[in-house]
Amino acid sequence: MQAGGLGADQIQQIQLGGKMSDLRISDRGRVDHARPVRFTFDGKTFAGLEGDTVASALLANGQHLMGRGFKYHRPRGVVTAGSEEPNALIGTTRGPGQFEPNTHATMQEIYDGLSTESQNKWPSLKFDIGAINDRLYMLFSAGFYYKTFMWPKSFWDKVYEPFIRRAAGLGRSLTYLDPDHYASRYLHCDVLIVGAGPSGLAAALTAARSGPSVVVVDEQAEMGEALLSEPSVEIDRDQVWGWLASTLAEPASLPNVRLMNRSTAIGYYHQNMVGLCQKLTDHLSDVPADAPRERLWRVRAGQVILAQGAIDRPMVFDGNDRPGVMMAGAAQTFLNRFGVKVGVRPVILTSNDSAWYTAFDLADAGCKVAAIVDTRTDIPPALMQAAMSRQIEALTGYTATATSGRLRVKSIRVNPVRGGRVGAARTIACDAVLMCGGWTPSLHLFSHTKGSLEWDAKAKAYLPGHKTEAVHIAGAGRGLWGIAAVLADGAQAGADALRDLGRKAGAATYAVTNDRTGTGITQKELPTDRSPSSAKAFVDFQNDVTAKDIRLAVREGMRSIEHVKRYTTNGMATDQGKLSNMNGLTIASDALGKDIPQVGLTTFRPPYTPTTFGALAGYHKGSHFEVTRKTPIDSWAVENGAAFEPVALWRRASYFSKAGEDMHAAVNRECRATRQSLGIFDASTLGKIEVSGPDAVEFMNRMYTNPWAKLAPGKCRYGLLLGEDGFIRDDGVIGRMRDDLFHVTTTGGAARVLNMMEDYLQTEWPDLQVWLTSTTEEWATIAINGPNAHKLLAPLVEGQNMSDAAFPHMSVAECTVASFPSRLFRISFTGELGFEVNVPARHGRALWEKLMEVGKAYDVCPYGTETMHILRAEKGYIIIGQDTDGTVTPEDAGIGWAIGKAKPDFVGKRSLAWPDIVAKGRKQLVGLSTENPKDALVEGAQIVLDPKQPKPMKMIGHVTSSYWSEALGRSIAMAVVQGGFDRMGDTLHIPTADGGSQAAKVTGSVFDDPAGDRLKVE
Amino acid sequence: MNASIKSFDAISVTVLPAVARLNLRIAPANLEVASAAFGLPLPGKIGQRVAANGRAAWCLSPDEWLLHGPEAEQTAIVADFATARVKAPRSLTVISDREFTIAITGPRAQELLSVACPLDLSGMVPGTAKRTLFDSAQVVLIR
Repeated sequence: MQAGGLGADQIQQIQLGGKMSDLRISDRGRVDHARPVRFTFDGKTFAGLEGDTVASALLANGQHLMGRGFKYHRPRGVVTAGSEEPNALIGTTRGPGQFEPNTHATMQEIYDGLSTESQNKWPSLKFDIGAINDRLYMLFSAGFYYKTFMWPKSFWDKVYEPFIRRAAGLGRSLTYLDPDHYASRYLHCDVLIVGAGPSGLAAALTAARSGPSVVVVDEQAEMGEALLSEPSVEIDRDQVWGWLASTLAEPASLPNVRLMNRSTAIGYYHQNMVGLCQKLTDHLSDVPADAPRERLWRVRAGQVILAQGAIDRPMVFDGNDRPGVMMAGAAQTFLNRFGVKVGVRPVILTSNDSAWYTAFDLADAGCKVAAIVDTRTDIPPALMQAAMSRQIEALTGYTATATSGRLRVKSIRVNPVRGGRVGAARTIACDAVLMCGGWTPSLHLFSHTKGSLEWDAKAKAYLPGHKTEAVHIAGAGRGLWGIAAVLADGAQAGADALRDLGRKAGAATYAVTNDRTGTGITQKELPTDRSPSSAKAFVDFQNDVTAKDIRLAVREGMRSIEHVKRYTTNGMATDQGKLSNMNGLTIASDALGKDIPQVGLTTFRPPYTPTTFGALAGYHKGSHFEVTRKTPIDSWAVENGAAFEPVALWRRASYFSKAGEDMHAAVNRECRATRQSLGIFDASTLGKIEVSGPDAVEFMNRMYTNPWAKLAPGKCRYGLLLGEDGFIRDDGVIGRMRDDLFHVTTTGGAARVLNMMEDYLQTEWPDLQVWLTSTTEEWATIAINGPNAHKLLAPLVEGQNMSDAAFPHMSVAECTVASFPSRLFRISFTGELGFEVNVPARHGRALWEKLMEVGKAYDVCPYGTETMHILRAEKGYIIIGQDTDGTVTPEDAGIGWAIGKAKPDFVGKRSLAWPDIVAKGRKQLVGLSTENPKDALVEGAQIVLDPKQPKPMKMIGHVTSSYWSEALGRSIAMAVVQGGFDRMGDTLHIPTADGGSQAAKVTGSVFDDPAGDRLKVE
Repeated sequence: MNASIKSFDAISVTVLPAVARLNLRIAPANLEVASAAFGLPLPGKIGQRVAANGRAAWCLSPDEWLLHGPEAEQTAIVADFATARVKAPRSLTVISDREFTIAITGPRAQELLSVACPLDLSGMVPGTAKRTLFDSAQVVLIR
């Protein structure tokens, strides 16, 4: 079947496993035997059938070896047939650039052209140099991360960290952009059913017939779960697959029901929100253009029914990880659902009745079952008889102590256990070991809700206890066994959900024949006649944790399962211990000599199975990564060569380069032009809030530090907002438009300021008649600054006398500018004569263009945020969040004058009297003048008194703003420095990254025009 | 807008012509004064709409109404409320340019909204409004 020639290993496998073509049973299973599919694994072409997974197709070709272990690089084969698979994690390539690591071979459907590869091997899967770790296993004992990587310290960068990084994950991660796209949806329904096995489907039928909206999700390509692997069962006198077809057809025909396959419920969140990841195209050979690869659903459900079944538990014994050793339940699935014999001479190793049925199915399909090895001595006679009638040898009261075989199991060593003593060994030749150490109810999603799990001593399992959500658990998830039992339980869960929705419904009943009920026991690692300390008895296949690692962790002092887990990494791989947690817990509790519930249980976290970043990101990528807020003048800036920078959520022009200019040259030119004649600046991103109502002035008095009562309509004032702690939160110029109306401007954090105001208004002062409305986006704001600002603007204004006397600095008026209705402010954030024109946003660009045209007479120069920053710094105007960091008071910032000393109260007033706030030596905002005027300091750099002091140096502050000032011909900087106001004239030092330091003198923070003469109209 | 606007068979997305949009805040006890000023009996229940003569009003929160009118009437509406201000304190803010309205029509309109709107819109009565989110953007949905 393979395209290439056969290698020695494959010939060996054929001898062991019979003719490869014999492994696929024609006309058996749910695969389409008439539709062959070709795909590649590690470069070789394999043939499978439509409906196969990579795992079932490889097994049909006798290929068990699918990967290498994480720590010891031991050869590993497929263990399960589902999403709990710890070993068969492969890389899949679907098309150019479409690669995914760690895909479950047991979940990935094959299609023509699919390319897959094994992982964690070099140079090849069959010969892997890393397998040397297997011989050095004593170095990799429990806690080796903590022990090995401590010393010497110099090994960190070159040895330990690269090792940990390489070892930290299986597979290779992408180094290029994911070309696929991903979708997301919200969905609301009355009943969400997770898992479409017998209990989920019975719940769905009951719920759907009553009429509410029902969503059924299942992670598999095909719905049915256990029913797909149990074809001998009959339900209501119908062969189970016939029953399944008609059962699925009914809800599929109902408009109130949505069936979603290939959809994994990845997380269960508050108030019955369940996240689903739906795979849409990974199984398709021809993907429709523009089809999203996956869709993330956020489902808000009235009632949730979890019917996730149970996962079979491995047996822990030496060599239990050899390819060919797998779960009996998986072998049954491969046989009955995919028509694949996982071997022709299997041995069953079990402590549960269920694996006996696997043996029978395999024997009936023509396999020579070498033996059923059961750790129990008390076996139901019916099973013993059924084994005998098939001439299967049953070894009861036996343990398994070793396996042999390099890339595939060749034999298993078993010993009788009599009176607690392990007897003489016997070796049984085999090509597969199919184990079942019990069943673990799948309660991961329930665990997400923080519902309590209670230990059921009879079932030897944790079962759902107290619920925190409107959730019902049905079927094997709550420890039930047998198709009849879970059908009835599912129907009851459906009825219970309807009752909780206030609807009436009776649970349907089902007649089941050939049901395979049974019981079993669970156990710690199997007893052995050999030294347990050299046994490689794996508990966690994915993280390579053995039974002796867990016992070592207990010996070294770990008492809680949470500590054992972290020390050994048991259950910490991407499978979250679906197979290993209960075995690990059983062994740890045995080592501690305590009952299992006393040792505890670890918590499952979302996602249930590994989920792509793409699905979680959805539409948030590339240009859609985040909403880009653009000003009404943004398009002009684009057309005129602006460089942009993100400022909060806004995109702002940072400078406008002319041909040949770098940023530095452009910014210097913009600064010069503005100081010398006229600059124009898009300030539309300024936050704006209307504070309106008869109590507006009282509200302003309470919120802001400044006094507002005497501010006349038509005037504006700098406003300072503190938090309750007395630290600066925000600032801005506030205009009084009318007695009862303020036009408040804020920093870019307008939404935060509005929230804070609303918070106070609604919770502290609900008596005030005042209302707050965000108007940030209503207005386009254009700032005009420079000696010629008045000359440009005055002729364009109607409805306001623009003389210096009638419209002095800090005035505001409603008028028209260039015939656009406008709120005109005379204010300055540059120290130059300045105006800010607000017009309705739609007129923003037209006004800008008009001002540019008229401004030609004054060589008007558009400038960006860089120049704005420099011009304001030259004047010592602070920027909240740059020169302050949430620990700066008005006095620290040198703006204590903005506090209305006579006011009885304002937010933060009382905190300003705290001893620490009035203490000397606080960090205070000062200017810094470098000794070398050409030296510019680095923003954020730390400041010290003596650069020669030993490390770690005592840091007394940091640089908050630093620029080249074209106006002053030197660098300028602002900094917060301990006791800065008392250090005027002192020289401080700023250590640099290269080990040197820069010296700077402490100055006032107003560098240019301290008298403010330039604000005046000439 | 980051995405281009496209029309499909099942759905069309268009930016509607400009209207006068105003945000009214007033104590419910004074609603009659506002109703008289606007010329429509303003609805008292959140989400409800009243519309006539090219004007419409939706109640968005206990003391908040969204008013729509023809663009040409914006100045007159503001003036009428200014007169009424002496009778009852309120806040009336022009937000015509603060936002714009997108019409989403077609059999799959609700499905398109479910891409990023967390609310269950299936039971939303035509004519009513809800303030909600579309992804990270605040929106007012009018059915």
